[in-house]
Amino acid sequence: MNIKKIAFKIGALILNILVMILSLSAIFPIVWLIYSSLKTEREFALSIASLPAHPTFENYVNAIKTAKMHIYFFNSLFTTVISVILIVIFSFIVGYFFARYQFKGRTLLYTMFLAGMLIPIHALLVPLFVQFKVFGLLDRRITLIFPYVGLGLPMAIFLMENFIRDIPHEIEEAAYIDGATLTQTLFRIILPICKPIISTVVILSALSTWNEFSFALVLIKSDALKTLPVGLTNFSSQYTVKYTQLMAAITIAILPVIITYLAFNKKVIQGLVAGAVKG
Amino acid sequence: MERQLFKPRARIFIAYLSLPVLWYLFVVVVPLVLAIRYSLYEWSGGPKMKFVGLSNYIQLIHDYDFWFSFKNNLIITLLCIIGQIGIAFILAALMTTQALKFKEFHRTVIFLPVVLSPVVIGFIWMLMYNQQIGILNWVLRAIGLGTLVKPWLDDPKLVIYSVSVPLIWQYIGFYLVILMASLQSIPKEIFEAAEIDGADGFKRTIYVILPLLSDTLKVSIMLCIAGNMKVFDHIYVMTGGGPGKSSMVMAQYAYNNSFIMFKLGYGSTISVGILVLSLVIILLSRKLMGGSEK
Repeated sequence: MNIKKIAFKIGALILNILVMILSLSAIFPIVWLIYSSLKTEREFALSIASLPAHPTFENYVNAIKTAKMHIYFFNSLFTTVISVILIVIFSFIVGYFFARYQFKGRTLLYTMFLAGMLIPIHALLVPLFVQFKVFGLLDRRITLIFPYVGLGLPMAIFLMENFIRDIPHEIEEAAYIDGATLTQTLFRIILPICKPIISTVVILSALSTWNEFSFALVLIKSDALKTLPVGLTNFSSQYTVKYTQLMAAITIAILPVIITYLAFNKKVIQGLVAGAVKG
Repeated sequence: MERQLFKPRARIFIAYLSLPVLWYLFVVVVPLVLAIRYSLYEWSGGPKMKFVGLSNYIQLIHDYDFWFSFKNNLIITLLCIIGQIGIAFILAALMTTQALKFKEFHRTVIFLPVVLSPVVIGFIWMLMYNQQIGILNWVLRAIGLGTLVKPWLDDPKLVIYSVSVPLIWQYIGFYLVILMASLQSIPKEIFEAAEIDGADGFKRTIYVILPLLSDTLKVSIMLCIAGNMKVFDHIYVMTGGGPGKSSMVMAQYAYNNSFIMFKLGYGSTISVGILVLSLVIILLSRKLMGGSEK
């Protein structure tokens, strides 16, 4: 009995060690990247694995001065904030009408939006490029907001509609009896109730917008308007690659995401799973 | 449908819905229709557009490079199904045992790469694979496996496996969390009963957990196929499809044709081809697995 117990304990210990190694290998590349970005190019070349002996922000200063990372950062931030706001407003409105009303063309619109979740975005690259060229929308500050909002809508509408459907009708009926208009009911009464699902939509759309690459690569040409993912590729092709500087640039791109994730990890995980499994 | 509330007039519907609907038509529906149209033309972006009927599609069927890319997509998909869902399944099963500690920590940490941009993941692994400064070769040397040191991304035979590793690595956490969520909806008594009946860890996993998760596993496999048929960002950053064409995938091939060689017509044909092939593979695998609950 005792031997069995000891064997079980040893087994459990080995198991824990193995899983711990796996977990650490999931973050090691990121940790390595971040601490290496604090080394000088020389120190890194001499010993690529050791911790920085004299941490320095020199690489960050250079990433901003020569590679203009702060511009890409601002562009990403701008595009993400505007896109997320529009996705939330649009999906809330459309989701509400889908959840509450039967109207002409509802089925058609509904199918059209839901089918959007299946469309592979790469099929849209060429026609969107051509379309934007015709409309003079290529390479503008607002360019990327168009596809990001359009592609974010299907999932967001789906989540909103499912959520609103479960809100009891009595709440709106009471509001109408009190003489509230549709607009007032919509934004003063229903919107606050939707807070939990709105935060899910914000997380999902903010992440996919911040990380998006293909459209940014095709639709934006001028350096001053590039977002972080494209800015990074630029960085490595244009300058003679200084690895530690590239690492600092990558860190600038991922730090906001990592901090947000660590602060709200439960909510983020739940949101991404809700988005993926689609109910 | 449910009972109707006080119903606003049509003009209010139009006022509220027109902007989102027009927006969506402009950036999703119209381009999709145009993609099909362009796929029937020979066109390099200029004013000259030559209608060629289905000949682009005939060319696509005989295009060795396209089918080679498709084969690479299949290899990546297969490796990802085994790697991502396999590892995630084992971890999810372990998460149900008492023996494993720090479950919360493991889940949080393993999920972290999921939220990062694929471009960033590509860059990080490019650095890790690097010949001079890569940590991978450094580790191999440090633990006395110097003979295994390789030019991971420059060896045409190896590269397709090298580019799959970051993909697998990034999304294990995603499938882990899906599987864990589905295990949480199963009453704890089932696991306890299995333990009382004397089922050991292995038997418990195979006979209790696997059947309970089969539907979720099927959904995961579908997600995995759909995701890997359109894989692009990682590859673009790490190899651009090279060396030569050895790590070329369909999306990269479509991109190269459309935006490097400016064959906009043929590029569209390729993307329609990707769409069709993805659907076929998804339907086929659904048939093979005996259909999922949805």
